[in-house]
Amino acid sequence: MRFRTAIVAALLCCGFSALLAFQAQFKEYPGEEDNPAPVPKDAFEKTEWTFARLRYPSGRYSGYDGLRGSWPTDFPKADRQLLQGVRRLTRIHTRSTEQVIDLVNNPDEIFNWPWVYAVEVGHWDLTDQQCKLMREYLLRGGFLMVDDFHGTFEWDVFTQSMSRIFPDRPIVELPNADPIFHTVYDLDQRVQVPGLQYLYSGRIYEKDGTVPHWRAIYDDDGRVMVAMCFNQDDGDAWEHADNPQYEAKYTSQAYRLGINYVVYAMSH
Amino acid sequence: MFELLFKYPPAFFSRGKFVLLSRWPVWVLVLLIVIAAAGLFWNVRQRHGLLSNMRAGIIWFAETALIALLLFMMWHPALSLARLRPQQNVVAVVVDDSRSMGISEDGKTRLAAAETLLNDQLIPDLKKRFQVRLYSFGRDASRIDQTQGLVAGDNATRIGDSLKHIADEAGTMPLGAIVMLTDGGDNTGGVDRDTISQLRQLHVPVHTIGFGPDHFAKDIEIVDVATPARALPQSRLTARVAIRQHGYSGAKVKLVVRENDHPISEQVIELKSDADQSETVLFNAGVKGAHTFQIGVEPVQGEENVQNNFMVRLVNVAEKKMRVLYIEGEPRWEYKWIRRAILDYDDPAIELSGMVRTTQNKTYYEVARPGELANGFPTKPEELFGYDGLIIGSVEANYFTPQQQQMIRDFADRRGGGVLFLAGRFALADGGYENTPMAEMMPLHIPSQKTFSRDFADVALTEAGEESPITRLEDARDKNDARWKKMPQVANYAVMGTPKPGAVVLMTVAEQGHHPSPLLTIQNYGRGRVGIFATSGSWRWKMLQDHTDKTHPIFWQQLMRWMVTETPGEVVASTPRQVLSDDTHLPLRVNVRDKNYDPVAGATVQTTIVRPDGGSDTVDLKPDPLESGVYTGNYTAEKPGTYVAETVARQDGKTELGRDTLTFRREDGVAENFGAAQNRDLLEKLSSDTGGSYYTAAGAKRLPDEVSVSEAGITAHDNLDLWDMPILFLLVIGIRGGEWLLRRKWGVV
Repeated sequence: MRFRTAIVAALLCCGFSALLAFQAQFKEYPGEEDNPAPVPKDAFEKTEWTFARLRYPSGRYSGYDGLRGSWPTDFPKADRQLLQGVRRLTRIHTRSTEQVIDLVNNPDEIFNWPWVYAVEVGHWDLTDQQCKLMREYLLRGGFLMVDDFHGTFEWDVFTQSMSRIFPDRPIVELPNADPIFHTVYDLDQRVQVPGLQYLYSGRIYEKDGTVPHWRAIYDDDGRVMVAMCFNQDDGDAWEHADNPQYEAKYTSQAYRLGINYVVYAMSH
Repeated sequence: MFELLFKYPPAFFSRGKFVLLSRWPVWVLVLLIVIAAAGLFWNVRQRHGLLSNMRAGIIWFAETALIALLLFMMWHPALSLARLRPQQNVVAVVVDDSRSMGISEDGKTRLAAAETLLNDQLIPDLKKRFQVRLYSFGRDASRIDQTQGLVAGDNATRIGDSLKHIADEAGTMPLGAIVMLTDGGDNTGGVDRDTISQLRQLHVPVHTIGFGPDHFAKDIEIVDVATPARALPQSRLTARVAIRQHGYSGAKVKLVVRENDHPISEQVIELKSDADQSETVLFNAGVKGAHTFQIGVEPVQGEENVQNNFMVRLVNVAEKKMRVLYIEGEPRWEYKWIRRAILDYDDPAIELSGMVRTTQNKTYYEVARPGELANGFPTKPEELFGYDGLIIGSVEANYFTPQQQQMIRDFADRRGGGVLFLAGRFALADGGYENTPMAEMMPLHIPSQKTFSRDFADVALTEAGEESPITRLEDARDKNDARWKKMPQVANYAVMGTPKPGAVVLMTVAEQGHHPSPLLTIQNYGRGRVGIFATSGSWRWKMLQDHTDKTHPIFWQQLMRWMVTETPGEVVASTPRQVLSDDTHLPLRVNVRDKNYDPVAGATVQTTIVRPDGGSDTVDLKPDPLESGVYTGNYTAEKPGTYVAETVARQDGKTELGRDTLTFRREDGVAENFGAAQNRDLLEKLSSDTGGSYYTAAGAKRLPDEVSVSEAGITAHDNLDLWDMPILFLLVIGIRGGEWLLRRKWGVV
């Protein structure tokens, strides 16, 4: 009996290791999609890079997103529209579909995806374990782009988790001369990219976030680990790139910025 | 016994020429034998009576053999050979007076045994027939009157130089032979071809008498240590150590590398059965400057000679940063982490510049020097050849013009640089490299179809990989192997073809259940080196291990060092021996090339050598008539210590083509510690190459007879009768007697 148990345990271990040996594939999240988009035929293609979206817990700050949380804002349409742009405008071997990195259920998978995007981080609420994981991820060389959070309150919520990831590293404004603004496009002249709401409200800012900021946390060698698009909504600009009412100048900058951030992450 | 039967010593037969002195021609002898055989056949056939055919045949054969033998003796057989005329020739007797002759065996030193043999037997016997001239030798040969003054004190044994000295003197005297008493412990690696051919020209045979055992009963000796002469700062180096041992089979000993008497690396090895074995030990080259390492095996209890356990090697760690260009055809994670492996650790040896094609018409440059790569990938040899190493990533072959493709090949072949090809969707077979000049330089055959796969795969070290400094993450081999077994999978790989002759596969890659394919393969190509790393997914070694883990940077730093460490500059000075053990002669060789790395024929090449005492000497080097761009010269290192030689090559006496620094060291009092057992192979070869014979001390009494057979000196050609050899008479009696006994037995007498 003991022998049989050992055999079963060994087989289970082997099976589990075999599972770990493969990179996670594209997966849909029905019921959590903010703006559904068709799944392309080549959704499962294996490529060098794809848009990796962080599925983080919102917890205390879930806000209007309710039970779903804020992580899938603009998902998956924004992701897939940016991916089309990256495919068309760069030589990066890019998948047509995004990859969701589930920080709750499969956190270690993040290490297979050195570039991740987190939206609405003014609502994220990471556990200590998740903060530790993110810290390790970034120190190994991972890159985190955060976007679509506005005003004093959301900044505070964001930094409550961020400061636990890196209590020892300051958040600083990115200077125009930083290579991240020049890897593909020179982005010295930048504008505040508004969310879709500006078409209805007439305001290009949200809450009290009137001034856009491009902030970052650097590593010990002066390279950006965390890039923050604060008081802006690049996700909406990607998502609504096909919306005639949404101005091209915003979309254009969001695409260029996204491409620069990706190429920067792959070269620095 | 031989002489009793054959009348003369064996040497006469081996060196003499057999002749028949009868005036009658040989064919008459043959004809008579045939006639006799036929007559006897007819006679036996007619008269065999009751004898069976077989018995009749035996009788016929015995009678025919007897008549043939008698006829042969009548034809007057003789040996024709040249012999030294008595008392008209000189025999040089040369005694080894080096330190190894002072080693005692059975309570008597080798030198004492040689003296006893000489004074009690050899010299008196030789003096009966020849004039004897006595020499002692070590570093060089010198005349002595008697052996009493010998002390076995010379620090070196140079058999070749000593023989040359005596052969040079042979022009002024009738030298008939050389008799050498030695243990054969030559410190120069043997007798050079020039000396052998000089002796052969003079027909002077060298007879050798060996002293000392063929090997010690209990000894571990370092036969040789091979290390690179140059290294980059903080490089991991390999020392290949050849070990010979007797009496310690199966013993575990410590292989150690020391610097300034402090161990810097060590590993435990098991000694194999009584035979030479080769082991490798890795160590860090350290910071810039000339480093002296002692490499060998820690002495173990009971060793008869502990002075031969370590050898000294010199490694010059250069200050120069070697330039590497990495071109990537598309943004990839591998590019990021390869750059980080060098830049994050402030590598003192590598200067890495990168260019990556981000879009169809944009390239992002991250260069080390202002203005570098201003016009993209180099289009002129002098521009590309300014780098020492080149990494080609996922770049389509046709991105390079045909001229650039040829230039990349020349980069390894002519310039001597290191080239590394990575896998990718635009690289190797997938990038159309198969029918380009670049495929020719690759260490693996390129498949004809696309093979790049984005599946995670396991990596494994090959046997060569376990030894290689490129893949050594831990100094201890077992720890290193264990670490590689736990290595995260690579993110992708390309299946490659078979290795070409001379290529070495260091690592393999395979998905679970698949056949392994070469992952890291290297080879030398022309003056340079070429490697294929058939993945672009080693970045997982960084992302899948703790952020403090240095596996990935160490691997890439070592791989890049392999690429560039031996990349030559325009001027390269070298010498075959960087450590002169009880030797003074340093041959210098300088290779001079221009910016395109074509040989420069008309350069002025001068080497300034700073001596250990701070003074300096200058050596002007002369062009080698056989090799364009090569200049040679010689220097005599008068004192022990470290020397620094700086070579400068100029064109037209003004324009500097380049310079190179070389360090070497003279060490005294060490050479005789090595090869202290008798080198019988060397002595036997020396004798056989010159027409002499090898003797043990016990068998040397035959020597005076053999010495007399020589074509050197004043000789006379003698014909020595053979017809009266006792063996022939015994044969006659034996044949006749045997036949009679048979006839008696068969009842036909």
